[in-house]
Amino acid sequence: MKSIYRRLIIIPLILGLSIVFSACVKKSPPPLRTELLPVDGNPFVSFRILLKVGSAHDPIGKEGLCYLTLSMLANGGSQTLSYKEIQNKFYPMAASLRVQVDKEMSVFTGTIHIDNLEKYYQILKEMLLNPGFREEDFIRLKTNQLNFLEKTLVNNMDEQFGQEILNLMLYEDHPYGHHEAGTVESVRKLTLEDVKNFYRTHFVQGNIIIGLAGGYPADFPDKVVADFSQLPEGETPQLQLPPPRQPQGLEIMIAEKKTPATAISMGFPIQITKADDDFFALWIAQAHFGEHRQHLSWLFQKIREERGQNYGDYAYIEHFVQGRDKFPEPNHCRQQQYFSIWIRPLANSNRHFVLRQAIRELKKLVEEGVPAERFELAREYLLNYTKLYAQTLGERLGWQMDSHYYGYEDFLAEVQKRLPKITHEQVNQAVRKYLNFENMYIAIITEDAQSLKEALVANTPSPITYANPNMPPEILQEDLIIQNFPLKVNPDKIWIVPATAFFQRVGLPR
Amino acid sequence: MKKLSWLITFSWCLLLFVSSPLHSSQVFPYNYQIEELENGLKVVSIPLKNPHIISYYTIVRSGSRNEIEPGKSGFAHFFEHMMFKGTKNMPREAYDNFLTKLGAGTNGYTTDDYTCYFVVFAGREHLKDVVRVEADRFINLYFDEEMLKTEAPVIEGEYYSSVSNPFRRLYELLRHTAFEKHPYKHTTLGYLEDIKDMPNEFAYSQLYKKRFYAPDNTILLVVGDFNHEELMTYVRQYYGPWKKSGYKLVTPTEPPQKKQKRAHYEWPTKTLPRLAIAFHGPAYSDTKIDKAALDLLAEIYFSSRSPLYQKLVIDEQICLSLNASFPDRRDPYLLIFTAVLKEEKDLPLVEKAIFEELNKAKTEPVSEKLLQDVKANLKYSFLRAMETTDGVAGTLAFYINLTTDPGTVNRLFNLYEKITPQDIQEIAKKYFTVNNSTVVTLTGGKGK
Repeated sequence: MKSIYRRLIIIPLILGLSIVFSACVKKSPPPLRTELLPVDGNPFVSFRILLKVGSAHDPIGKEGLCYLTLSMLANGGSQTLSYKEIQNKFYPMAASLRVQVDKEMSVFTGTIHIDNLEKYYQILKEMLLNPGFREEDFIRLKTNQLNFLEKTLVNNMDEQFGQEILNLMLYEDHPYGHHEAGTVESVRKLTLEDVKNFYRTHFVQGNIIIGLAGGYPADFPDKVVADFSQLPEGETPQLQLPPPRQPQGLEIMIAEKKTPATAISMGFPIQITKADDDFFALWIAQAHFGEHRQHLSWLFQKIREERGQNYGDYAYIEHFVQGRDKFPEPNHCRQQQYFSIWIRPLANSNRHFVLRQAIRELKKLVEEGVPAERFELAREYLLNYTKLYAQTLGERLGWQMDSHYYGYEDFLAEVQKRLPKITHEQVNQAVRKYLNFENMYIAIITEDAQSLKEALVANTPSPITYANPNMPPEILQEDLIIQNFPLKVNPDKIWIVPATAFFQRVGLPR
Repeated sequence: MKKLSWLITFSWCLLLFVSSPLHSSQVFPYNYQIEELENGLKVVSIPLKNPHIISYYTIVRSGSRNEIEPGKSGFAHFFEHMMFKGTKNMPREAYDNFLTKLGAGTNGYTTDDYTCYFVVFAGREHLKDVVRVEADRFINLYFDEEMLKTEAPVIEGEYYSSVSNPFRRLYELLRHTAFEKHPYKHTTLGYLEDIKDMPNEFAYSQLYKKRFYAPDNTILLVVGDFNHEELMTYVRQYYGPWKKSGYKLVTPTEPPQKKQKRAHYEWPTKTLPRLAIAFHGPAYSDTKIDKAALDLLAEIYFSSRSPLYQKLVIDEQICLSLNASFPDRRDPYLLIFTAVLKEEKDLPLVEKAIFEELNKAKTEPVSEKLLQDVKANLKYSFLRAMETTDGVAGTLAFYINLTTDPGTVNRLFNLYEKITPQDIQEIAKKYFTVNNSTVVTLTGGKGK
């Protein structure tokens, strides 16, 4: 009994102390943050208003809500101006406000000539701080979102379609596991009230980073901060993400549609981001193996240059969105990343061969590592190519923001410091640690899916023919190996689904 | 050596021009110099204070327009691919490695009128090597028949990479229907049957090179952190031996269209309905007002602030998008209107609305205020493109292709300034007639 009494006394005491203690250390609301990049004399000002919220914050059953809400801000009216009036005012300034939505962050971007800074900012401020949320804007933008999911994504852009199916596979039952635009089912149910609630909940001071670059007046940032300080205090906690499910063997999803060309994307989650020391070593390996739209890409050399199979073949160690020219677009930071290979569309007759070839090359990379001369080449390439990444005001500001997200003062400067110190062995260790060729999600868009399934399961030889009757003998010799390269495909892990079944609701339609 | 040295009075540099473009008679904000070698190679040089970065562009004035023989559609683009095959001095792998070590942003692209190759790199100390290697590539390009046969299917792959895009089909059909004789009839990728025949075109590839890949058909455009005299020393040294072609291309003249043409494409799966209406228009000019007035008309009547756009896209929400595109071409091209609709049933309504808007352009003069807004938009849009060396070079490459002279940009914008509401009415009457139009629709199959 004594002990019970003691507990009865002690527990409230502890709880009471806890309350007192937590009251004493109660955090003050996170302040509005800024990222400033003043460039005296520059005739432009770039805005990047970053929101630390993305599609992964969509409530369950309301997938696509973040996208629709932020579209309402960027592509709808404010309380004082209709969308038409905004268009009319933006037009003589050649101005716009764009929004990009990723899984965990979103950003509003715009660049304006200094002549028009004040006029532009007054409109931008109203759009973001006093949105109109008009019914007609809501209907227009919701319809556009639905049309994208139902018609455009599935029928008119097979390369992106393949990458989005891969995303569904990578992140099943995970907050990343739906398209930023949501699903047909969830978007249909979204209401204007949902949009207003999402805005009220998430468009708060602690979630916002105000980015400004260019030749703005010295007092301009204070003015912007004062305006945005009118937003409610608060912060959306960073998502506690579950580990994504790793593929068990080769898991293959075939989206079947009538098409003369096959698109393939494949990959698996990896436990590394830019914040990790190993990133730099693995990045060198990636540049060697599949640098985006560069001749350096080994896959490009083997599949396109040697064999003329398609327009290009690349690999990535993090989510990649192409920005200006072929450079990565900033402000797509994520807590979790994935490795992927992108095989651009190729003749249906050669799909099995090229799938084999890509996986065989990945196997060689994992087992044999990056050849020494290619290590040197890829490192030198990255040291020089990254000097071109941040040229516009918007890019410089975006990279500054990403640097801070991943814990660097200046990520691109860090590249110049770190890459020269990385050894060949460190690169190959990183490859062995993070990459594999046996457990992978594979998304394929093609026609006559059943015959591909049967050929994959049976490991049927897949020879190809060439327009050139005099192909080099070493290539023909290697082709004999590739066409018989065994893929361990379990018939229970290969699904055929009509293309139109995707994005109807959350998850994979199998 | 013939030397045409130009120095514009304005001396803005990449990061320091601050005057309002609205108050300037020279919209292009940088100094440039032009020199021409004895062999006809023209060099446009724009040194800028953008630290470390140089954009090196080679503009060959050959594109789809040069594909005058039957069965050769897409050849300019195919030849662009072959230009990455190296030389005997520097085979493909060595060339790739050179650019890779440089960390260069590099590629090529082909348009209706020209093919452009660019190397964007950091470090002025590499300039000499870039000039040497690029000169070698253009003078001594080497590939054999087998290399050509291996590369040809890549074009088919490129065709496939956009095969799911309905706009590609729509434009192919539009051009094919609108033109009778001029090579603008086909797109830069070419007809699929011609693409499939490319492996058999080795002999033609050699003829094509001889005709068009020559200094008298090429312009070098260099923008960024370098010294002009140093650049010219290297250019003279490495490009001097390049031999002239002297070939004179005669493109077929498109006969006047006498009655309206129509065509339809049935897309095999669900897609949003699309409409394209085109009128035969004028070639680019910086002296005659026709094309410049049409540029302003497109903005006034079809931009995002136009009444028709706001009615169809924002108010009634019949269309997802509505655009007018009047591209500048060396020969007379098309004035194209496109719309993406929500419902197939509204195609006739949108077509009618576009024609009615064009009739309004003929009868109702636009306000001076609106005209000024459009001119301001064009200037600010142009200046936004000037933010990087690559932006300057890429934008200017397009204009240089048209006239060989960067001064055309300022002449064009000065022409815009002179255009009156009455000019726009007259130009609308001249070009926007029913008989001069081609209407193409695309709808989305059984599953729509």
